[in-house]
Amino acid sequence: MTILNQGKVTLIHGSVVEEDVQLTLRELCQACSAEQELVLVWVVEGVLEPVGESPPDWRFSGDSLRRARLALRLSRDLEINPSGVALALDLLDEIAVLRARLQRLGVG
Amino acid sequence: MKFKDYYETLGVPRGATQDEVKHAYRKLARKYHPDVSKDPDAEARFKELGEAYAVLKDPEKRAAYDQMGSQWKTGQDFQPPPGWDAGFEFSGGDFGAAGLGGDHSDFFEALFGRQARGGQRAQMHAQGQDHHAKVLIDLADAYHGARRSVSLRMPMLDAQGRVTMQDRTLDVSIPKGVRAGQHLRLAGQGGPGLGEGPAGDLYLEIAFNPHAQFRADGRDVYLDLPLAPWEAALGASVAAPTPEGPVQLTIPPGSVAGRQLRLKGRGIPGSPPGDLYVVLTIALPPADSESARDAYRTKAKAVDFKPRAQGKG
Repeated sequence: MTILNQGKVTLIHGSVVEEDVQLTLRELCQACSAEQELVLVWVVEGVLEPVGESPPDWRFSGDSLRRARLALRLSRDLEINPSGVALALDLLDEIAVLRARLQRLGVG
Repeated sequence: MKFKDYYETLGVPRGATQDEVKHAYRKLARKYHPDVSKDPDAEARFKELGEAYAVLKDPEKRAAYDQMGSQWKTGQDFQPPPGWDAGFEFSGGDFGAAGLGGDHSDFFEALFGRQARGGQRAQMHAQGQDHHAKVLIDLADAYHGARRSVSLRMPMLDAQGRVTMQDRTLDVSIPKGVRAGQHLRLAGQGGPGLGEGPAGDLYLEIAFNPHAQFRADGRDVYLDLPLAPWEAALGASVAAPTPEGPVQLTIPPGSVAGRQLRLKGRGIPGSPPGDLYVVLTIALPPADSESARDAYRTKAKAVDFKPRAQGKG
């Protein structure tokens, strides 16, 4: 079943999350279907680094969405605890930097 | 429908204990997790592992699966015998942990699908779920912006509360300057809200179609440009393709393979825009004619060249 009204197609404009969007705690939880408690633990572990004093004021950068989703997949699929998730994310970041460097050298 | 041997998928014997099943799953899951593995089949393998584990880790489902008998082999045509699950009671739950179910094989759906459904009686008014999908665009779309039709299959709850897969086509504006790995948020295009709750949002993760010449790294774009040895040695002015059309490039004399020429601001647009890096490679002319071989012989005499000399000591 296609919800496509032939002849009258509306063009949908989105915003680039990484550039234009800051997320509140509630929005981040909604966007990645994560429990708020889990996000709080990730902040403690340094997986996510919001700006702001307390949870109601927190603003997460757009890139937090990618990190939170990755953290969620790792903890769910591999049953990794929050500090393990934090370590895995750090290592994955480091691998990405090294891969990019290889590519820049034409090796990747 | 094809039979799936879940024991084979996890590489455990049929008599494996629950601990052995778990151990095998964990090990393979770490190996094939799509966020970790670079194996091109990782995602498919990981899904199969997850499906096998969903059945074998659950004593009720495993018992039901086992009573199908051990004579079946993966890939055999299979129909579940009528009433095959009589006498088994599934506790349900645990499915669709990913938020959106519908990811399992037909085989799994036929056996265990129905009890994964329904039962989700949320409060009367709630915001719809946010959905996520990946969309492939061309590098050129990031340079110029584009309008792309995006086809999505989404699990939707029908009037009876059952999950059905529905195809949707959205006409999406791809903003100029978007990069691989970024997400587009389309407000209100996710799952429908319950009651008077608003619809969820749809997040599209951007990825680039592979390109024969260009590869992107963040906002920077790379291009391999082959040169003839004399162009590299003597310098030259050569035409080079860029995502915005060909440019005339000045190759400095004495260029070596691997040298990068940076074209500032010619990467993916933005503030600041990325750069385009032209990575020089040197193509060797084939010695496939007498005149070409003569040219090599002449050069061998004329030039005192010891390619391995600097490798010593």
